[in-house]
Order: sequence, then C-alpha cells, then structure tokens
Amino acid sequence: MSATATVAATAGSAADRPAGGGLVVALLLPIALVNLVGFLLPVFNLALISLQEVQASGAMTGGWSTAKWVSVVTDDFYWELLWNTIRTSLGITLATLLVSYPIALYLHRSSGLWRSVLLVMVISPLLLSAVVRTYGWIAILSDQGVVNSVLKAFGAAEPWRLMFNLTGVTIGLTEILMPYMILALVAGFGRLDPRAEEAAATLGASPFRVFRRIVLPLSVPGIALGSLLTFVLAVSSFITPKLLGGGRVFLLATEVYDQAIVTLDWPLAATLSMIVLVVFGIAIAVYGRLVRSIG
Amino acid sequence: MDRRHFAKTVLAFACGLAAVPASAAETVTLMAYTGLFQDRYTQAVLAPFEKANPDIKVVFAPQPTSGAMIGQLRAQKAAPQVDVVIMDVSVAKAGTDEGLFVKLEAKDLPVIDELYPNARIPEIAGVAVTFDNLVLIYNTEAWPTAPKSIADMATPAVKGKVVIPGIPDIQGMSLVAILDKKNGGPGVEGKFAKGIEAMEAIAPNVQTWEPKPEVYAPVIAGQASIGVGWNARAQVNTDTSGGKMKAVIPAEGTAFQINTINLVQGAPQSAAARKFIAYALSAEAQKSFTETMFYAPTNAKAQIAPAAIDRTVVKSLDKVVPIDWLAVAKVRDQVAEAWRRKVIPLSR
Repeated sequence: MSATATVAATAGSAADRPAGGGLVVALLLPIALVNLVGFLLPVFNLALISLQEVQASGAMTGGWSTAKWVSVVTDDFYWELLWNTIRTSLGITLATLLVSYPIALYLHRSSGLWRSVLLVMVISPLLLSAVVRTYGWIAILSDQGVVNSVLKAFGAAEPWRLMFNLTGVTIGLTEILMPYMILALVAGFGRLDPRAEEAAATLGASPFRVFRRIVLPLSVPGIALGSLLTFVLAVSSFITPKLLGGGRVFLLATEVYDQAIVTLDWPLAATLSMIVLVVFGIAIAVYGRLVRSIG
Repeated sequence: MDRRHFAKTVLAFACGLAAVPASAAETVTLMAYTGLFQDRYTQAVLAPFEKANPDIKVVFAPQPTSGAMIGQLRAQKAAPQVDVVIMDVSVAKAGTDEGLFVKLEAKDLPVIDELYPNARIPEIAGVAVTFDNLVLIYNTEAWPTAPKSIADMATPAVKGKVVIPGIPDIQGMSLVAILDKKNGGPGVEGKFAKGIEAMEAIAPNVQTWEPKPEVYAPVIAGQASIGVGWNARAQVNTDTSGGKMKAVIPAEGTAFQINTINLVQGAPQSAAARKFIAYALSAEAQKSFTETMFYAPTNAKAQIAPAAIDRTVVKSLDKVVPIDWLAVAKVRDQVAEAWRRKVIPLSR
C-alpha cells in the first residue's frame, strides 16, 4: 500500500468512527462559552431590565414591574410600530433582492480577473461605515442634491421629496444592504449548473423559460439566505432610518434608540429589543422551514 | 553581577516604579459632551485649571448625549472610572435617584454660595454649571431681516425649509412648552395641549424633525432656512460660519436648558475632583467659558465682557418661560403620544 493510500484509509476510518464525546465537548466548549458570555447572558440581562420598575425621571431604583410589557401589548402605537417595521423591512428586502439578483447572477457566471474585479466592487462599499454612506445619500437625495438638480434642469418646478421620509430610508437601506444580498446570493448559487441551462435551451426553451424553470428554482437557497440576512439587518438598522427618516419613519430600532438614549426609559427599550429578537426568531424559523422544504 | 547585587538592583527598580505614581500628577476624569463643547471647554476651563494645578491632570471623556453618559455610569457603578460628569439636569435627576452622585454642599464647596439661586436644585446631587436657552436660528441669506417669532416658521414662504429637533428631544419639548404658555395653556397640568395645537400650524413646513448631526449644519448650508436650537452652539456656529447663520430669542419667549456638574459616587480621585468642580464653578472659569461659548454663567460673581453677555440670555431673563423638567418628565409619554398622533402626520 502506498503512503498516500495509507493516509486516505486512515482518514476514512477516522471519519467513519463517531467522534468521542470528550472531543465534541472540547471542540464545542469555546464557542459555547463565547455565546454564553457574549450573547445569552446579555439577552437574559435585557429581559431582566425589561421587567424593572422605572421612575418618570428614568431612574431605576430597584423593584420589578410588568408595566412596560403591558403598555407595549395594549398600546396601538407599538403594534403599528411592529407592523411598520416588518412591512418596511420586507419592502427593503424585496427591493434589495430585485436590484442585487442580476448583479449576483452576472458575478456567478463571470470568471478570472473580471470576476475578482467585480467581487471587489461588490465588497468595497462595506469598507465604508454606513454613516458615511448615508451622508452620501443625503448629498444625492436632498432638495439641492444631484437628483433634484437634474430634475430641475429638465424643468421640474418643485424638488421631489426623496428623503426625510420612507422613500429616503428605503433607497438608503437598499443600497447599504446590497453587498450582503449579493454575497449571500452568490454563495447560494452553488447548485446552478450552466449545463442544465444549456440542456434546456437545446431542447427549445426560450431564455425566459430557462430562467423561470431552471435558474430561478435552483437559486432559491441563495434567495432565502440573502433575504433572511437583509431582513434581519433592515429590522435592526437605526442609523440610516434616523438620518434619512426625518423623524417621520417610526421603526422598532429607532424607537429603542430614542427610549434608551433620549427618554432614558431603559425597561421600555429592553422590552422593544426583546420584541425585535422575537421577530428575528420568527424570520429564522421561516427560513429554516423553507430550506427544509426545498431539500 | 552576583546574585545578591542583581536582587538589590531589581528591588531598587521596583521601588522606583512604585514611587512614580505618588509623585506623578493625579488624573481627574471628566465626562461631558463631545464635539464643540469638548473643544471649547478644554480650551476655556481645563487648560487654565491644569496650569494652576500642575499636580492634577484632567482627562476629557466625551459622550454624545447625557443619556449615553448615564449608560456609562450605570455600567461602572461597582467600580467607577469617571470622577466628574457634566450632564443635562433631567438626566442628572435619574442619576441622583439611583445614587450615582455625591451631594455637593456649600459647607464642602463654598463656591456654591456664589451661584444664582436657580443653579442650586434641591432634587439634584450636583449644581448647575451652565445655562443655555432655546433660540430661533436662521439662514442670513434667506432672511435679510431677522425673523422675530416662532410664528415665522408657520408662513408659506418657509415650506419645507424648517428644521426642528422634535420630541423626544428637549428642544422640541421646549418649543411646545413656550407655545403652550403663549397660547394660555396651563403647562404640565394640561399636558401642553395648547402647545401641541400651535405646533400643528408649523408641522406642514418642517423638512426634518431629526436634523443631523445638529440643527445648525442644514441652516448654515442653506438646505433649511429657519429652525430652533440652543443659543451657545448657535452663537459659536454663527462665528465659525462667517455669519451665514444667526440666532435670535423669539418674541414668544425662550426656555432654559441646564447642565449640571456632578461628583460621581466612589470617584477614584475624589479630592482632586472636588478641586476641579470648585474651579469649574468659580467666577474665573465661568467668565472664561461664557466668553468662549456663550453659555450663561451660573456664578453670580462672574464679570462677563459686555460683547459676550449680549450674546447670552442674561439680558432677556424676562423672556424665559419657566419649565420644571422634573415635572415634565411625568407627562412626557402623553406629550410624546400627542406629538406622534397630531403633529408628525401633518408634516408628511
């Protein structure tokens, strides 16, 4: 038996054997500890804060209360806030998917140096902070910005209100979340085999039919992953809605910020944060179900 | 080098290291606002204090808001890293209630007797270190003649050109309180309903309720033409923008914003921190900071240069609408709800 074959046989037999319980624990322990200290304990602490009593001044002087949970559940405003957040984030996710899909598909089909150049172009916006990119959008979308200047040159009497409203938030977040969507789509395009497309075309399918029957179904895993990532990031972003929303767009994340930093109502901020976590949980559950259903 | 000699050398070196902290400067950590405040306070108060007290170094720990400061203090409650905090009075009330601060009293800090009576607030552990007030700010190109009144923000000429930091920001709350008083509202008892009603005329003209990074930038740039802000920052921005933006106290009145200086409970450098607080409240430091950043002084003995005092609220005290921020906190949620339901929808 050659040396290579011996190594292969040894590796094969090791892989076939179930790993020892001790080794599994040892390998899982570091990440479990990191998660415990960095995620579970803070979340537990957040849940505790949501049950603390708070004075009008914002002081938390001990004592427990379910008042914030009761007010969140019974006040229409917070239901509207939740609905607004989900609706807006779904809209942004859809917009991001629509503009990212063709880019991701092109990227998937490109090769060599051109593919590397394209990948760098996709990733490079992530090197800039979202704050800077949002200010960039302010320069583009404001009344005296690039878009309105062009419209004015074409004879528009009044500037279009492109920011300080939901339109601005949607435009800004869509662009900011595009790299995440594109990278997730490209990662999920693994099953997309060009030979299947060629076979369909050979058998007489039109390009649109090839796209609808072959490309789109095979890219569902990428679409699901990208949509989950984008939705979660859209629900939790607060800087862009703060800067581009003009105080008119009420979302869970911006309300958490206002309650924690401006109004100093930490228990209410913690309660809303727990609700954001529930929304994430539901999104991940829906994603899991979708992935299982497509095998 | 034999072993004994080596041991002696190491011991001497260790003793030398141990002696360094005793002879080095004590470090007082001051937490206060970032940006303009940090620059001007360092220049006007910290630098002269350190010059007069070479054994004390003051480190400025900047935070964007009072809310962020109290977050830090809560996190450090078991082992504070900060000695002195300058923060808004309403947040200082929360800190006081939570036992985060030591009560400052005149018997320990005689300078407190030199302060104006309204700088000593019984419910707060600290005392007022600056008074600021709400002003109308305007772009001087758009307004060759200065606007006079809050009502000027309701005229059709400024549609889409008004910037107001809205509720929950206290600038928006101050504006509502001033309008409430002007329209005969009872204030806290009436949950500022008359003020909210008056805002309904202004709301359709508002470009943004969240001017960032601050309200002054869009007015200087001409993206907005009128708004409300705080006097001190407005005055500095008037100077730094070469007069592109100016500020005026509106005819309806103005309202105070009070920053308090507080000694942190369990402060690592308590004695030096008290020395710094005494200096920050002294007539000398108050004069210096007012002349640098146009906050009104809280020390009654501060002799401010006339050019600076004219740019503070000191000569317009009759226009100040008294607001009890601690009472406002109790109806804040209801006012915020009325704001969201009645004012914001009109500005869409």
